[in-house]
Amino acid sequence: MRPTTAPSEAELDSRKIVGINKETVTDVTSTDFPGHYPGEDNSWDINTFSSGFNVQFHQNEQFEASFSLIGIDASLANAFRRILISEIPTLAIETVFIENNTSVIQDEVLAHRLGLIPFKGGKEGLLDFLKWWRKPEPGADQYSTTFDFNTVSLELNVECTKNPAADPDVESDPAKLYHHANVYAKDIVFTPEGRQSQYFDGDKAIAPVNPDILIAKLRPGQEIRLSMHMHKGVGSDHAKFSPVATASYRLMPTIDIVKPILGADADKFARCFAPGVVAVETVTREDAARDDAYEGHVGERKAVVKDPMRDTVSRECLRHKEFDGKVKLGRRRDHFIFAIESTGQWDSDELFLESVKTLKLKCKRLEKQVVNMVR
Amino acid sequence: MSREAYQVPSTSGGAYTGSGAPGARDLSLSEGPLMQYICSDCAVKMSLRKNDPIRCKECGGRVLYKERTKRMVQFEAR
Amino acid sequence: MAPRSKTRADVPEEAGDDATMQDAPPSHQPAADDAEDAEGGEAGDDEMNEAEDYEEEEEEPQRVKLLAGSTATAASFEFADEGHTLGNALRYIIMKNPDVEFCAYAIPHPSEAKMNIRIQTYEGTTAIDALQKGLQDLQELCDVVAEKFWVSRNEFMGESTPQPSHA
Repeated sequence: MRPTTAPSEAELDSRKIVGINKETVTDVTSTDFPGHYPGEDNSWDINTFSSGFNVQFHQNEQFEASFSLIGIDASLANAFRRILISEIPTLAIETVFIENNTSVIQDEVLAHRLGLIPFKGGKEGLLDFLKWWRKPEPGADQYSTTFDFNTVSLELNVECTKNPAADPDVESDPAKLYHHANVYAKDIVFTPEGRQSQYFDGDKAIAPVNPDILIAKLRPGQEIRLSMHMHKGVGSDHAKFSPVATASYRLMPTIDIVKPILGADADKFARCFAPGVVAVETVTREDAARDDAYEGHVGERKAVVKDPMRDTVSRECLRHKEFDGKVKLGRRRDHFIFAIESTGQWDSDELFLESVKTLKLKCKRLEKQVVNMVR
Repeated sequence: MSREAYQVPSTSGGAYTGSGAPGARDLSLSEGPLMQYICSDCAVKMSLRKNDPIRCKECGGRVLYKERTKRMVQFEAR
Repeated sequence: MAPRSKTRADVPEEAGDDATMQDAPPSHQPAADDAEDAEGGEAGDDEMNEAEDYEEEEEEPQRVKLLAGSTATAASFEFADEGHTLGNALRYIIMKNPDVEFCAYAIPHPSEAKMNIRIQTYEGTTAIDALQKGLQDLQELCDVVAEKFWVSRNEFMGESTPQPSHA
């Protein structure tokens, strides 16, 4: 075997760029595999990965996080994203027992709407205490697998009545004319069973994340009387179980100004991008000294790249003749800008960590299975 | 008379014999089971037979409901 | 949007009249104690016992299969209930193994929850070893990602919260 050589830093950087041209893209696939570049190693090494991998946070609110994973392959970033959407469990309404529903909204539509409401509750109870609910064997009692540690029950009992204090001649707002003209998520009542009263006590109670979700509208004489069972589930079964509203990533854009863009062109160039991406500055003596291309242009205006992360990669600048050969657009293949928005049952930063742990657990289980298969 | 003309359903099963206004007044009022209806306007409950006019006996409203079942109905929230 | 099953409650049908359902409240869910009593009256000495038994009952079936026609250095594996999530990640990490000549994954049919992985290695190792190494490398990688992610998160928040321990 040939001795392993190390390519230059510039070479390594250029390998990470996906080229974006006017009508085409180039160098889309990863090439960091053994045997791809003769004489280079590129085999998996945890220390090499560890030193090249980096996380940068941009935003971390309870239900919204944005961060960059730098130095990881798309197959892994995508695995984390997919796990976020479809494999992290949450609790959601699964069965609706309708005693009475005289509202104009049909039973099945009402049940579907209820299922989509995101709920929150005590972390310990949700994650440690609550287990998976299994469907009973065919022929077995419907509730034979239903226990306090796998089912949460809720009730919704509302009846619309006339508000005697409101004058129908003056008032036209149904919300004021009647009591319970609107049924909101906050009208859902949590009824703890067994040990649930310990785990979901006080502010840890199971409750809708947003109390103001409109479920139905009623008129006097109409009522909704129902109870519900919640179970744990995953997004691959039904979207209502997905813990995220969105979990997505995009690649870090790169904008390389190869030749100076000066004067009025600089302003036009800046307008080709989203605000804040490209700025217009004055060419200084230092610029001229550092770069031959700026020589004799001191005092003129030039376009500079300020914040490529905000770029939308619109490729608008490639449509104009005056920028021909002066700019090179691209994306960094190993720089993933993640955006995670939680629906409220998990904190957004915990969610990503959970996706990493889920992938690890998956591999651990399958490793056992592979050993089992050989036996 | 056109065969496509509306025929008032009748228990006799025969073709429309057609004399005068199609009102089926000639049929016996005591035929068929009694059904409970609720008026959408005044919420009054009333019993109607098959050939009774669909009309509230109190307010004359023409929108009538059947009463909803008292049984619990179970749905999957999907 | 139509519900998959729209079953009426399990009420004895008495002459078809709309009887009020008094005898079986819909949301009846026995607490663990109820169930224990029903099972034959073992005293509820350890409440968690039942939850644990309930969990342990599920022994995972064999989900990885060696497909026919495989040799030591060129094998195809079938993973049940896995998809692109694991398929592509595993493919990447196995391709990073210098002893592997070829690795690819496929989902032969979208309506079958199966994922196939093909591994061909050079002499001196086996496809099964390469698969096992791939799964181990992925676990290692996850540890690094989790660790670095949380360190970075703490730096950003100006905290030193330990990683949440659940799951």
